[in-house]
Amino acid sequence: MKKKIDKNELIVHIFLMIVAVFCLLPLLFCLKISLEPSRFAFQMPTVRMNGFTLENYINVFSRQDLMLPNWFANSVLVSTVLVALQVSVVSMTAYAFARLKMPGKEILFSVLLFTMMIPAQVTMIPVYMIIKNLGLLDRFLALWLPGIANVFGVFLLRQFYSTIPGEFEEAAKIDGAGKFRTYVQIMLPQAKPGIIALSIISFLGSWNDLFWPLIVMNKLEMRTLPVGLTVLNGTYATERALVLAGAFVAILPALIVYGIFQRKIIEGTMLSGIGGR
Amino acid sequence: MKRNKLTMYKVKDIGGNYLFLLPFLVFFCTFTIGPILYSFFMSLHRWPILAKEHPFVGLDNYRALLKDKIWWQALRNTLYFATLTAVTTTIFSFVLSNFINNLKRGANFYRFVFYTPVVLSVAAMGIVMGWTFNTQYGIVNAFIGLFGIAPVNWLGSKELVIPSLSLASVWWGFGGPMIIFLAGFQNLPSSYFEAARIDGANNRIIFFKLTIPLMAPSILFIIITQFIAHLQVFGQSYLITGGGPGRESYTTIYYLYQTAWRYYRMGYGSTIAIGLAVIIFTITIIQYLVGNKRAKVEY
Amino acid sequence: MKKFWMLLLAAVLSSVMFVSCGKSDSSASAGAADAPAAAEAESDSIVTEAGSGDMKIVFWNGLTGSDGVTLDGIIQQYTEVHPEVSVRVEKMVWDTYFDKLLTSLVSGNPPDMFLLHEYEIPQFASQGVLMDTSDFFKPAGPLDKADFEPEYLSALNYEGGFYGVPLDRHGWGVVVNNKLFDAAGIDPMAVPANADEFIALATSLTLDANGNNPGDAGFDASNVVQWGTVASWMKPNFLTVLWQNGGDWTDGNGKATLDTPEAKKTLQFWYDLIYKYQVAPVPAGFDGWQSFANDMVAIIPEGCWMFNFLEDNEMDYSVWEYPQLGDKQPAVWTSGHVMYMPAGLSGEKLDATKDLISYLFNNTTKWATAGMPPASMPVRNNLDPADVPIAVTYGSSFARQGRFDNGHTAITEIIDNGYAPELDACLNGLKSVEDALRDANAAVQAILDRGF
Repeated sequence: MKKKIDKNELIVHIFLMIVAVFCLLPLLFCLKISLEPSRFAFQMPTVRMNGFTLENYINVFSRQDLMLPNWFANSVLVSTVLVALQVSVVSMTAYAFARLKMPGKEILFSVLLFTMMIPAQVTMIPVYMIIKNLGLLDRFLALWLPGIANVFGVFLLRQFYSTIPGEFEEAAKIDGAGKFRTYVQIMLPQAKPGIIALSIISFLGSWNDLFWPLIVMNKLEMRTLPVGLTVLNGTYATERALVLAGAFVAILPALIVYGIFQRKIIEGTMLSGIGGR
Repeated sequence: MKRNKLTMYKVKDIGGNYLFLLPFLVFFCTFTIGPILYSFFMSLHRWPILAKEHPFVGLDNYRALLKDKIWWQALRNTLYFATLTAVTTTIFSFVLSNFINNLKRGANFYRFVFYTPVVLSVAAMGIVMGWTFNTQYGIVNAFIGLFGIAPVNWLGSKELVIPSLSLASVWWGFGGPMIIFLAGFQNLPSSYFEAARIDGANNRIIFFKLTIPLMAPSILFIIITQFIAHLQVFGQSYLITGGGPGRESYTTIYYLYQTAWRYYRMGYGSTIAIGLAVIIFTITIIQYLVGNKRAKVEY
Repeated sequence: MKKFWMLLLAAVLSSVMFVSCGKSDSSASAGAADAPAAAEAESDSIVTEAGSGDMKIVFWNGLTGSDGVTLDGIIQQYTEVHPEVSVRVEKMVWDTYFDKLLTSLVSGNPPDMFLLHEYEIPQFASQGVLMDTSDFFKPAGPLDKADFEPEYLSALNYEGGFYGVPLDRHGWGVVVNNKLFDAAGIDPMAVPANADEFIALATSLTLDANGNNPGDAGFDASNVVQWGTVASWMKPNFLTVLWQNGGDWTDGNGKATLDTPEAKKTLQFWYDLIYKYQVAPVPAGFDGWQSFANDMVAIIPEGCWMFNFLEDNEMDYSVWEYPQLGDKQPAVWTSGHVMYMPAGLSGEKLDATKDLISYLFNNTTKWATAGMPPASMPVRNNLDPADVPIAVTYGSSFARQGRFDNGHTAITEIIDNGYAPELDACLNGLKSVEDALRDANAAVQAILDRGF
């Protein structure tokens, strides 16, 4: 199995390596600064490490107004519950649109598609008023309720349900299964790849969301990680090393999860057909 | 008689089907359809959030929007940013994915590395990129300093602030489209490429005469979706530049945020949102028409 | 695949537990019986609890820095003297704090006590959410209006009502780097008497890499290693010099006055420091505080809240009153943290809160250790300049020439969206002085015409 080294391939490798280095460099430098004594954060960065300390990380966890573990837990809770709610509602809807006989469903579906073209910001002000009037500001429900009806999810999963052969349903009908049981036991498992893709996409979306949680979650201990980070960045502008340490505490779990599930995440991105942001 | 019974059965049967839609429709109406209509309603009123009364002002908000210099400047900045970012991201990710696709080994490694920045939240990205482009202590200036170039005020000058934010966003997001392109490459008919090689075409000819035309629909799709996504840019201005210098990095969403949640002018905020929606809607329609036309030409 | 869902499940469970633990802590602290234990449990959160009395007072403020910790200490002292009272202090960053406060006031669930700046009164009082505090003062109440400067009193008046009790009178002045003055052989306490002297001083303290000053033959403007001064936060810088020149941003009768000769002269002064005399850097991307700490800036106009930063960095510095840079009258921008209560507060809660507010007002000596000159003149006059140089120097400057900004129901928008971005555009070389002021004037006028 001796492989001939292709000259062209070598050049491509060198080029891609350089891009990879530039891709990781900002992260590595920020990591480096967060591990140095804080005074070096306000000098031109050098390649060499200027000493090593965990002081900034200790500070991040001891500051009264930095509740990173809390924010992290909030983010995990918010994103997972949202995904669970969204997937259960959306997949049922998508199934109905794809397989069930309903006069007028085409019209309804085109209404759905139409709203996909309207940016989320249009609905934000009225939704904020609704949330405020329901007394849900600073509650997780404020982040969950508006996110459940995910039109993109219906669109994505409908395609999956459409490709499932009709025999499955026929067989279930003959067995005497009701419609809901047919859906849960027969159809839902068939759409698994689509559901995983949707889960990953909407998890990442919710995990990254800044605008909406920034508006509805004001209480310090109710913040999500992105909102908490903006506060960290705004409040501690004079302590760069601390800010970067905080950013890394926030980034690390995401990187670990990405490292473990990278194949699933990348496949999910491929399946969804949209390139993230 | 028999027929009637069947219809009855059918109606009952079909009626049950709608139950599958019910949970979705409840949330969809409450948090999407209702708010869309209500947003338009609010845009016709003066609506300070604290006030008890909201006087009807007709189309005054829209007239004010058309005359609002800040809105037009924010829109200009946003269109510039979105165009620059969408085009750069698409070209960059296309070229890279083409390279990666032709590799005999190491493809997974590069795919992994290039996708890494995508998992950062916008807040983390803002912090990292804000310091990367910092004038006094940033690594970009440290890097160009190695070549004896004086520090550049990336985020503080009119000409550079949007390109810098755009570059930061490309760094952050090019991994996504790259993955889509890689998936697209796998679906290309390999027979075309084999035939081209047998005909003696070199890599460059294959890339320009075969790969690009075959991938054209994907490229167009990515450019448009990227463009629409970046029209909604917010975090970059909010976190990195605060809209400055002056108002050179105000974006429409940043302006919307300020108007609605800093100054509590919900009516005018709705007007800004609808203004942006009209623009995005128009672009989507154009994309649809262009896409259809292309499809017709091809067949 | 299984692994994925297991991990997700584990994550949800652990976060649910975490969040619910956090919840039970705070709900426990709401019950008075086990309050001491709860106070301990909360010690690492931004919420601080003082005392364990049955009378619970909730106090919100935006003091998330070390100044907030200082204030907590004073409140702690109070609860030691008044064991029947406990105070729950919740601190948020100012921006968020305003959002939160507004919504809580409107939705009818406000804290018992909160801080605002004096110029924000119209924004809140016009909505009827603030309590009138006239009866806090003699003869009806414990406090004496004679302890304040008259202009502070009039800043707290809004449409015939009197709102709040001041905690401090903070504001603007100048801090200089002794090391750089000594190196140049200049006395750090030689305060310039006018704009020309200021420019001359800043010029002799600006150095390029070859040790040349601006104006010297061969001065390299692209390679300056030490700046004479810096255009720091422009709101107080601009307003101070504008007032000194006899101008203002409004005539107080609904007209914006930013296109006047006074305003032009003021902005031109700042513009020239950067582009004509080359004694200050282009402000965007320039970190004034860090550069000052790194001995790259000699004179920095700053607020008294820089005090803790200077001490933390063990700086060798001197403090000036803001120099006379305009030519009409003395003036310097000041503001104040003012204690407020919501309009609906009544009964025993009101009495207890009133008592706490009076205590805080009379015990601000410790508050001055955060750099903040106390609002009470008797307290301020007894400070030791060796302990709190900024609070003493700035404080006496404010007493003589301090001026409060005009309040307005849309003041936040007037500043942040009206003139601040235009000043920023001008000083960063994007707009001429005339264009920036014309646009600023139009933007402010539009807001004034509209009202809130």
